[in-house]
Amino acid sequence: MTSAIQTDTLIKKFRRVDALQGLTLNVPQSAVYALVGPNGAGKTTAIKILMNIIRATSGRAEVLGVDSSHIRGRLLEPIGYVSENQEMPEWMTVGALLDYLRPFYPAWDAALEAELIKQFDLPRDRKLRHLSRGMRMKAALASSLAYHPKLIVLDEPFTGLDPLVRDELIQGLIDRAEESSIFVSSHDLAEIETFASHVAYLEEGKLRFAEELTSLANRFREVELTFDAPPILPEKTPENWLQVSASAAVVRFTDCRFDAERSAAEIRTALGEPRNVTFSPMSLRSIFLAMAKSGRNLA
Amino acid sequence: MNQVWNIFRKDARHHWPEIAASLALLVAFAWLDIRDWSHRDSFVATGFSILLASRFLPGLVDALVPISWTFLIVRIVQGESLVGDRQFWVTRPYDWKQLVAAKALFVLAFINLPLFILDIFLLIRAGFHPAHYLGGLLWMQVMWILCLFLPTAALATITKNIPQMLLAVLLLAIFMIGTTALSPLIPNSSAPSDIAGWSGFLLIGTAVAIILLQYSRRRTAFSRWLILGLCGLLTLMEVATPYRSVIAREYPLPNGNLPVQLALVPAVTHDTGSFPAYDGSIPIRFPLSVSGLPNDSLLQLNGMIVTLTNADGFRWDSGWRGQALSLVADEKTAHINFDLQQKVFDRMKSAPVTAHLLLAFTLYHNRDQREFTVPSGEFAWPDVGLCVSEMQYWNRVHCRVPLRRATSLFITSETAASTCPLTGRNIPPSPGVFAHNTVWGDSEPAEIGISPVHEVDIYLTNWDTSDSNATNPGICPGTPLILSNPESVGRNRIELHFENLSLADYRVGSAIIRTTVRSAGH
Repeated sequence: MTSAIQTDTLIKKFRRVDALQGLTLNVPQSAVYALVGPNGAGKTTAIKILMNIIRATSGRAEVLGVDSSHIRGRLLEPIGYVSENQEMPEWMTVGALLDYLRPFYPAWDAALEAELIKQFDLPRDRKLRHLSRGMRMKAALASSLAYHPKLIVLDEPFTGLDPLVRDELIQGLIDRAEESSIFVSSHDLAEIETFASHVAYLEEGKLRFAEELTSLANRFREVELTFDAPPILPEKTPENWLQVSASAAVVRFTDCRFDAERSAAEIRTALGEPRNVTFSPMSLRSIFLAMAKSGRNLA
Repeated sequence: MNQVWNIFRKDARHHWPEIAASLALLVAFAWLDIRDWSHRDSFVATGFSILLASRFLPGLVDALVPISWTFLIVRIVQGESLVGDRQFWVTRPYDWKQLVAAKALFVLAFINLPLFILDIFLLIRAGFHPAHYLGGLLWMQVMWILCLFLPTAALATITKNIPQMLLAVLLLAIFMIGTTALSPLIPNSSAPSDIAGWSGFLLIGTAVAIILLQYSRRRTAFSRWLILGLCGLLTLMEVATPYRSVIAREYPLPNGNLPVQLALVPAVTHDTGSFPAYDGSIPIRFPLSVSGLPNDSLLQLNGMIVTLTNADGFRWDSGWRGQALSLVADEKTAHINFDLQQKVFDRMKSAPVTAHLLLAFTLYHNRDQREFTVPSGEFAWPDVGLCVSEMQYWNRVHCRVPLRRATSLFITSETAASTCPLTGRNIPPSPGVFAHNTVWGDSEPAEIGISPVHEVDIYLTNWDTSDSNATNPGICPGTPLILSNPESVGRNRIELHFENLSLADYRVGSAIIRTTVRSAGH
């Protein structure tokens, strides 16, 4: 099966700044793929290359099986794109925008359009310039979902939105998830965690890791060990132990390759038999904090 | 086609205020143009309001109409801006060819079509049947597209908004001012050459290339470099063109006999010493005796180069100077005028100088000579237009001309045969003295402009400067004219060499130049 998005060693340089340093990604079809990372990590640059808004310095990207540098015109018909900083035709009303865009898409679904208007509570006769930021984003999303796109690309769609609007947008996306692949960039990890199936972490233009969210959640554990007496920490701990800290008889770390049996054996080998062991599942936010602080590439 | 109509409707809905303003200006133009035909004498009326209405307002509207078109084109092109990476439309399935077609359709619908309708209306109001002039009207439309709409659209595709567009226009204006300022520093650069044609071709080609490149690929940086490259190329062409060779090629020496003999008339010096130098320059006039020009010929001096060398070897070259001097068979004297800087004159005036004159000319034969008596009232003048004799301020014929002056017309009249009443200061003209004028035809199918109706005043000039009061009553109803159509025979140059001249004798005002009395030549 063709990937929805595939990139190979994508490099983008803006004069002296290396925005992307060899990004290789594979977004499976029907995935809800989240590209996360701090501001300036290169997320928007990557998306703009995928949408052929800007050109890569080198490397290759394919979107729905087409070289991204060729994506224009009719090849955009199965793609929905919404960005936080997109310049919309502010002089148009919501209804005029939808009326205008309808003829561009052979697959435009008028019933779905009406449903989205209702779901997002959009005022058809209000000009975009008079809408709040959240409403504008909802209008943009409605105009990008009404034609059943095979791929929905969202660049920081939740930035600056209140929780209610975020929930509405996410619900709108979840409703479409069955028929579309969704590629979304964000630094709002809590929101991503609620609906993403895959996650990739980009930092300073480099991909730190990319995998399914369930797999990520399964392999990361916050480990707390209690010993009878303060243990002697070895000079070199296993590579998969992040942020190892000790306080009296308690040792804490993050295990990024958790496997119940293997992790227990590793602990015994490194520190001896603990009196008590706790393996706690971690939130996406905790995982990224642990990785960011440890500064390791864990792909 | 679906997209074309969709985008066109969107643009029309969005830009209706600009469209309305542009159409209103066209209506105002039509009203003022027609008013100008019918109230031609208003310019002599006194009072600021009349001046405003008759002079300032038409000029303002003339300028505002193309400005409104430019603005409209910029607005619709920048409606789907091709500059930047945040515009929503670039991620929508626009077909670039249909987008270009939609913009072109908009220009045709809201600029070209109204202009076409206006032109037809003006032709009808001026008394001409528009069906006879459709080719010329279409030519005018094409010229507007090539000369204004395409360059404007090209600039709009590489700018994001109106301020950026104004900046681009300002930079281009600075370039043009710089080029114009550079021109006098390049010897003979004002001589006729193919540069203007090539420049126009390059300009239009670059504009088309930029528009296609921007719409198909959005290569803004590359497109901007193209404009810089064009400016560089135009400058290089201006600097590197071998103008002297071009003049020699365009105006070769005649193979056989010269069509006209020219000789320097010795100056009769009566030095008054009172003529002031103006603007730091000293006006010099070489009087030339003219002979040998056949009766049916007309010689049009297009330009000249004067070179002066004094005994010390000091050399001064005028460079190409455009001229518009016509010589006819009965003309016995011609004056070659030029200015010298004071410091050059001072170095040249005391010692004998050698003068070399290169005179570039076009020779015409006057074909189809015929007689024509000016009717009273409005009359149709074949190949000219609808004319009326005007006697209020200057005895002449005023014509409304459709599209262009169709053919060149050489007009001669014996001044004694004029039917115009003599004013108190005139003395009756002597028989056998002729006055002439040439109305030069346009080579293009139409003059570029908003209106297809042009106004031409036909009057007669008596070139005998010694007797100007007496011999030029003008054209009035009943005045017999002799008409002919000058037909170009060829272009040549004459090179004249005069030695041992005292330049001070030829300074205007310091010498009374001998003039000759013309004899009847027809």
